[in-house]
Amino acid sequence: MIQFKNVSKVYSNGTAALKHINLNIGDGEFVFIVGSSGAGKSTFLKLITCEERPNEGEIIVGKQKLSDIRRSEVPYLRRTMGMVFQDFRLIHKMTVYENIAFAMHVVGASSKEIRKRVPYILGLVNLQDKAGCHPRELSGGEQQRVGLARALANKPKLIIADEPTGNVDPAMSFEIVDLFSEINKRGTTVLMVTHEHSLIKHFKKRVVEIQKGSVVSDRCTWEGGND
Amino acid sequence: MIKSFSYLFKEGLKNIWSNRTMSLASVCVLISCLLLTGAAVLFSVNINTAMKSIEGENSIKVYMKENLPVLESIKAGEEIKKLDNIASCEFVPKDEAIEQTMGMLGQEADKSLLAGMTGNDNPLPDAFKISVKDLSKYSQTAEQIKKIDGVSSINNYSDIAAKLTKLDKTVSTAGFWVVLLLAAVSLFIISNTVRVTMFSRRLEINIMKSVGATNWFVRVPFIVEGVVIGILSGLISSGILALMYGRMTKALTSITLFSTVDIGPLIGRITLIFVLAGMVFGALGGMISIGRYLKREGGDIVDW
Repeated sequence: MIQFKNVSKVYSNGTAALKHINLNIGDGEFVFIVGSSGAGKSTFLKLITCEERPNEGEIIVGKQKLSDIRRSEVPYLRRTMGMVFQDFRLIHKMTVYENIAFAMHVVGASSKEIRKRVPYILGLVNLQDKAGCHPRELSGGEQQRVGLARALANKPKLIIADEPTGNVDPAMSFEIVDLFSEINKRGTTVLMVTHEHSLIKHFKKRVVEIQKGSVVSDRCTWEGGND
Repeated sequence: MIKSFSYLFKEGLKNIWSNRTMSLASVCVLISCLLLTGAAVLFSVNINTAMKSIEGENSIKVYMKENLPVLESIKAGEEIKKLDNIASCEFVPKDEAIEQTMGMLGQEADKSLLAGMTGNDNPLPDAFKISVKDLSKYSQTAEQIKKIDGVSSINNYSDIAAKLTKLDKTVSTAGFWVVLLLAAVSLFIISNTVRVTMFSRRLEINIMKSVGATNWFVRVPFIVEGVVIGILSGLISSGILALMYGRMTKALTSITLFSTVDIGPLIGRITLIFVLAGMVFGALGGMISIGRYLKREGGDIVDW
């Protein structure tokens, strides 16, 4: 699904965010990305979504070499991914239903498709009753579930979550990662950045640790050995 | 594409209501700018029209030599007409001139004072009433006329001509710079208003881009918003301008002899220009300001 071949990224201010990263993430995998602040986790995600371009190396997402992608093609790449953010990034003037429908409008889905799919996704994240609510009327956990529902709207093959549990209470964090796990079982690749060790310990998944711009460990569980 | 456009069009309309405070601010700014520019243009048009009428009324008289045969006078008139700067040339025979003078003095005077001045006793010479195309070339034209056979004199108009020419130039130049300055100020204010609107909605742009919206998908609702706000502002400001101008000219004509340009025949054109200007300003303002955010990516849009 994702391949990093000797990828390095140095920002214009001279900060070396990533150094010679080599990593393979297969189709249908669930991977936790961990590391301290400033370790390079966000840059890692930004390179996948083409928000940033590497100075060196090659990145392949799906079958697409990102170095070959033109600026105008980036939106189409992003439509194959679902993104979930720590701060939810919902449009507050829109209802829950409209926030999800919006992502489908972006890809040119028909009204009929939208009317069919949005209630289905709301069912997946247990928010059927909140379709008409505005984001501000929801708890942090509920808002994040809307964020996840929006990410799922266009049936992505890859979900990228940047600290999705950072703004929700611990009990809700488990519920949210449970949802990610469910989605992963249906075949979607999940890449999740997190700081919460309790989640990593509880959900036994592959864990990639980045420190100072390098991958320092790549294990199947937090306490386990290298693959 | 059409499906998306109808959605984006509706989104643009909805956004006007959702961001009603900023929409109202934009409408007010556009109205002020259009009103200021419109008022300056109307002022300039009025001054120009007044100048033209002053120029028209002050026709120049060319007097022929005494007892010159009429045929000779007419021949001289043809010569005058051939000159480059002549707009009109009307022959005023001495009989007509004395009648006009009598008319000016009233019926009583007609009988007593000027009764014996008709026919062969008419002391007035034949004359031509001429108007020139370009008042600034008055002196040269006067010199050319004086050289024509049969011409006795030409009334001295050079002082007034020079003054009118100077005033005309001043008004035209000042009008041009005032309108230009106002247009520049308007653009500055509008682009800043749009920038503030964009700033408050940068998170929305960020979200749109993260779910894979193309730049055009992001742009269209903002352009629709700008165009609708422009149309609205254009209609309101032309209405206000017509109303205010009507009242002002009414007040002005009642206290002075100054006659103003009637806005009636102009109002259709003013509304059209205002609406078009509003649309262009609105759409351009939207496109220019959003371009800044479209070039950025992710968190950079919201300056995280």
